[in-house]
Amino acid sequence: MQLLDGYLKAVAKGLPTAQREDIIRELSEDIRAEMNEKQAELGRPLSDTEQREILKRHGNPLLLAARYRQDDRTLTIGRELIGPALFPFYVKVLSFNLGLTFVIIGSIFTALVISGQRVGFGEIVSNALLQLFLQLSVVTLIFSLIQRHMIKAPDQWNLGAPRGLHLDLKIETGTPFGGKNNPCRVSRFESISFVIASAVALVWLKEVQLHPFLIFGPAAYFLKLAPIWSQAIPLIALLTCLEMGRALINFIRPDWTRFRSVAQVITGSASLAVVGLLINTGTWVTLADTADSGAYRRAAEIVNQTFRVGLMFSAAICVVQLVFRISRLLRAERKPASSSSIDVAG
Amino acid sequence: MTPGTNHHELFENLRLELRRGSLVLAVLSALREEHYGYTLRKTLADQGMAIDEGTLYPLLRRLESQGLLVSEWREEEKRNKRFYRLSSGGKTILKELLTEWQKINSSLNGIV
Repeated sequence: MQLLDGYLKAVAKGLPTAQREDIIRELSEDIRAEMNEKQAELGRPLSDTEQREILKRHGNPLLLAARYRQDDRTLTIGRELIGPALFPFYVKVLSFNLGLTFVIIGSIFTALVISGQRVGFGEIVSNALLQLFLQLSVVTLIFSLIQRHMIKAPDQWNLGAPRGLHLDLKIETGTPFGGKNNPCRVSRFESISFVIASAVALVWLKEVQLHPFLIFGPAAYFLKLAPIWSQAIPLIALLTCLEMGRALINFIRPDWTRFRSVAQVITGSASLAVVGLLINTGTWVTLADTADSGAYRRAAEIVNQTFRVGLMFSAAICVVQLVFRISRLLRAERKPASSSSIDVAG
Repeated sequence: MTPGTNHHELFENLRLELRRGSLVLAVLSALREEHYGYTLRKTLADQGMAIDEGTLYPLLRRLESQGLLVSEWREEEKRNKRFYRLSSGGKTILKELLTEWQKINSSLNGIV
């Protein structure tokens, strides 16, 4: 029942909270009834392929969930850029990104004010507007592309992905490396998105060393990255390249799920080591050569404290991810390579 | 977009619009007898009114919230199912809608 459960979980994510349980219960009964009937007709349990066919007929979980929502909001500029199915997710992602960005900007300006620096209102507004424009443009562009893909290929979504919201470019068959009974595939959409995001991150890593404004904003006048970053950044870039390579391989071979799990455990451990290296250093920003050290020292201390909290938080995320990836790998190893057919009557 | 595609899309949109109004009538009529989702869908499909559950269940919820349907969870064949049927208000509305539909139908027959 793994496929049906995964499908229902994916639908549930897009449903209104108050009705979620009730809708899923009813939908589950309906699909089970359909599977039971098919099973009775064939006189045997349904195979994965047959279950997939039934679920495919029910449609993309994202679109199915959208029909239950009384929310028809869209983003339309001339034509519809983001439809009602994606709009709530668009708002969530944008709110999260903007919230995080404004917390960082707020911390920097607070540090400036606490340390007695004069901060102009215009400076705060222009920085906030710049971030608003950047985030709005990038997030809108990404969601518009997903929307276009959904319109062009409404039936192409990855049934194997547990979240079910991943769109896929092709449903694959045959799994020489990932275990032939593993129904999961690495979504090609996920792989290519990861490659693009990593490429952007690499460019940013390179540019941030040359233009500290990209990370410090107006505080770049008196702050610069501490020497530890000259060791850490090449390591981060190397790990990003390795993950990009892994995503490219999974783009070509989406069925290599075990390869992905092993690679992610290795890069996850290495990432944790890099974060550990950074935490041990204790100083992540220092005063720029142009800054008057007396006036800006307090601001640098506050930014370093913020970095410490951020790094501790990153370490916690790395540990959780690593535990999750190792347990996923172990579960996959223990999984029996027996029949993938299931009896839906139970 | 080719003129052929445009024509097809236009027809499809108008067809769906025409069908949308009829679906409420079909669902209310079918629910004079009690059904759960899957059997209701089959009943409608057998009569040539196939409807996918992504359309049917939200419609059932809307009709229930409008007081036209009542539903209850009940066990049948060792499974819990949600059964729907017309409420007394739904019966009255259905009668009025059917009268209206017959009027429209005879008018259209005269025009077409």
